Amino acid sequence: MYGGGNTFEGIKTDSLAQEDPIKLAEFEARIERGEKIEPTDWMPQLYRKQLIRMIEQHAHSEIIGALPEGTWITRAPGFKRKLSLMAKVQDEVGHGQLLYSAAETLGKSREEMINDLISGKSKYSNIFNYPAFTWADSCFISWLVDAGAIVNQLANAKGSYGPYCRALDRICAEESFHLKYGHHCVIYLATGTKKQREMFQEALNRWWAPMMHFFGPSDKISAHTEVLMKWKVKMSSNDDMRNQFLDMYVPKIWELGFTIPDPNLKKNTETGRWEYTEPDWEEFKRVINGDGPCNKERLEVRRIAEERGRWVREALKAPKATYVTPLA
Amino acid sequence: MNSLDPRVKRLPVIGQPGQIEPKAPLDQFGTFEVFVQPKEGKPFQHEGIVHAPNLEMAFVLAKEAFTRRFMCVSIYVVDTRHVYTSPMTEGNVSVFGFIHETPAQAGEKISYEIYQLIKRGKQHIHAGTVQAVSPQEAMSEAKKVFSTDNKVIYNLWAIRTSDIRFTKPEEQELWLTLPEKKFRDASAYKAGDKLTEFLDKQKN
Amino acid sequence: MNELALKELLYKMADDQLILGHRNSEWTGFGPLLEEDIAFSSMAQDKIGQSHALYSILHSLGEQEPDTIAFTRHADQFHNCLLTELPNGEYDFSLIRHFLYDTAEIIRFDMLTQSSFKPVAELAVKVRAELRYHTLHANTWVKQLGSATEESISRLQHSLEYALPYALGIFEESPYEKELIAEGIFGGEQALKEKWKTKVEEVINQTQLQLPDWKTMQPILGGRKGKHSEHLQPLLDEMSEVFNIDPTAEW
Repeated sequence: MYGGGNTFEGIKTDSLAQEDPIKLAEFEARIERGEKIEPTDWMPQLYRKQLIRMIEQHAHSEIIGALPEGTWITRAPGFKRKLSLMAKVQDEVGHGQLLYSAAETLGKSREEMINDLISGKSKYSNIFNYPAFTWADSCFISWLVDAGAIVNQLANAKGSYGPYCRALDRICAEESFHLKYGHHCVIYLATGTKKQREMFQEALNRWWAPMMHFFGPSDKISAHTEVLMKWKVKMSSNDDMRNQFLDMYVPKIWELGFTIPDPNLKKNTETGRWEYTEPDWEEFKRVINGDGPCNKERLEVRRIAEERGRWVREALKAPKATYVTPLA
Repeated sequence: MNSLDPRVKRLPVIGQPGQIEPKAPLDQFGTFEVFVQPKEGKPFQHEGIVHAPNLEMAFVLAKEAFTRRFMCVSIYVVDTRHVYTSPMTEGNVSVFGFIHETPAQAGEKISYEIYQLIKRGKQHIHAGTVQAVSPQEAMSEAKKVFSTDNKVIYNLWAIRTSDIRFTKPEEQELWLTLPEKKFRDASAYKAGDKLTEFLDKQKN
Repeated sequence: MNELALKELLYKMADDQLILGHRNSEWTGFGPLLEEDIAFSSMAQDKIGQSHALYSILHSLGEQEPDTIAFTRHADQFHNCLLTELPNGEYDFSLIRHFLYDTAEIIRFDMLTQSSFKPVAELAVKVRAELRYHTLHANTWVKQLGSATEESISRLQHSLEYALPYALGIFEESPYEKELIAEGIFGGEQALKEKWKTKVEEVINQTQLQLPDWKTMQPILGGRKGKHSEHLQPLLDEMSEVFNIDPTAEW
């Protein structure tokens, strides 16, 4: 689950001057033709760097994203929910596995990526720094956070880097289960008892602001990404993705009779764009820089999980192993 | 640790909070390539990698990493270092143009599995098996057997058959209940009737 | 067919799978390696699925709905063996428990494929196929960690010694052993235990682990009769926390 927020910052295109102009032209022509770039192909350093950064953040977001919903894994009500939530959280871990592998083809090892996650050097999706207070919060995540992630991932699956696209094809197929499962859960809450409806309304109140943050800062204030758009690394602007999400899901939330906690939210029938209260981007920055309600817990859980597994991994480390990057 | 997650509350205290011990190289082990056969009679295709301490463990871990939904009848794994790769081509240039006939070599011919990339951006698919003395000869054998005039192949892999951990005959039932695990598929979550009933009630 | 005997058998098997599946699911997201996290979760899901299938057979015999059976009973109404309810501990214990338990289960379900009670015999073929992966997984890990470093060997050895008396509790006899055997429903706990010991020895002998003398082991019993450790009720309370907000609601 990943929304693409704050992935790219401070891009300096100076380094492009040092690239071989003929190779660069061939590289760009290949992308222009709609062909994929594969790990053994020549690529500009900037492309490699930004892709690693993006895929790695995506992978971290899956691993950390398993935690808020995992909060309810032992408490899911009934067999059907219990099995589904187990499978769903497992998928998030599985997505992390696929994405780390895709990033590895670019030359950064999984060890380095996990180190950078735990030390806080590398970021993950901001939304997972918020707590899942009740069962209904986990339903919100399964339905709407995954819905947001799908908007981003479907766009990125049309990007230029082969291994990332292949991982995303697989991930998107699995996400369709998450989305249906999440919607199913919310429909049951919406059509259930008064208490169940209240639970979801409260979750919606809590999660709406992080959900609006999910796609990243508005285009007006975010870093320039033209070259990444041209190279099909970034496939859609933050505002476009946010708008697409609102277009698809606000009517579905309203249909269930819930109130979205933004009095200014409405679709402008002339422009076809959604209007909303500008999200608090200062809070977004504050949380992404470590000061959210759950940042410490999320990283600490990861640190402990890695520490507890250390003896297992050390026991089985093969003396003759050498590191190679995956093939595709 | 104080948490809303009862599992997190139960986590043991290990080390100092926030104090990171960086991972050593290969802490996550080496990589193994995973190949899946979706259906009887269909070719194997490359699906991705797992990190594992050895070949046997890679097989065990690959099964759930790659075949917990959709169709599967068999998988196999091989150490990434044991896959010999050709150059990668593009456009309408076939990789066979870069593979030269190897002079006859002395030695025992052994079997190699040949994978080919038919479309850039897609997975490598099993083309067949050849007998050769070396991986180079396997590539050149592959050229003889699998190159056809009208088909552009962008990349070839050759894998010594004896380096592969195959699914054993008695393990074939590992996927017996896979089609029944509907809870992993979107199709198991239909709530349309409940929704329609709710909307009708709202209208009245 | 002796229905009481059959139900007793089904309840204890279903409760085992539910409680152990629940325990193993606690590892999701916390595993020692991403790949292992995924594998462990799948096996936990298999167990929950197997318990549901067994409760469904019970339901067809007149017992309550699977959700009601699983989410509303008190600890003393559960028939799982104590081994399954113990906290996960570290990975060594979770692995050893998984090994000892699933080694017994694949034999149990293999025996049940011959059951005179058709619904169980049919289910057993499927469960056995799933357990084939569970035992492949357990055996591979135990063989490797049981022959690796001093730390891994000593951790597994310690967990093995701790878990074995509980594991013997898997085979706590039912009051209906004779009837089950006579009617061909199930070959009995004693026969199962003997086959299990052989298999456990076979795997442990391929490692540097030491199997204590069976004769010195004192089985820890009671689970099959509803006498549980202090760990089961909190597990059940946690599992049914949301369900119990309103047991009549649809979630």
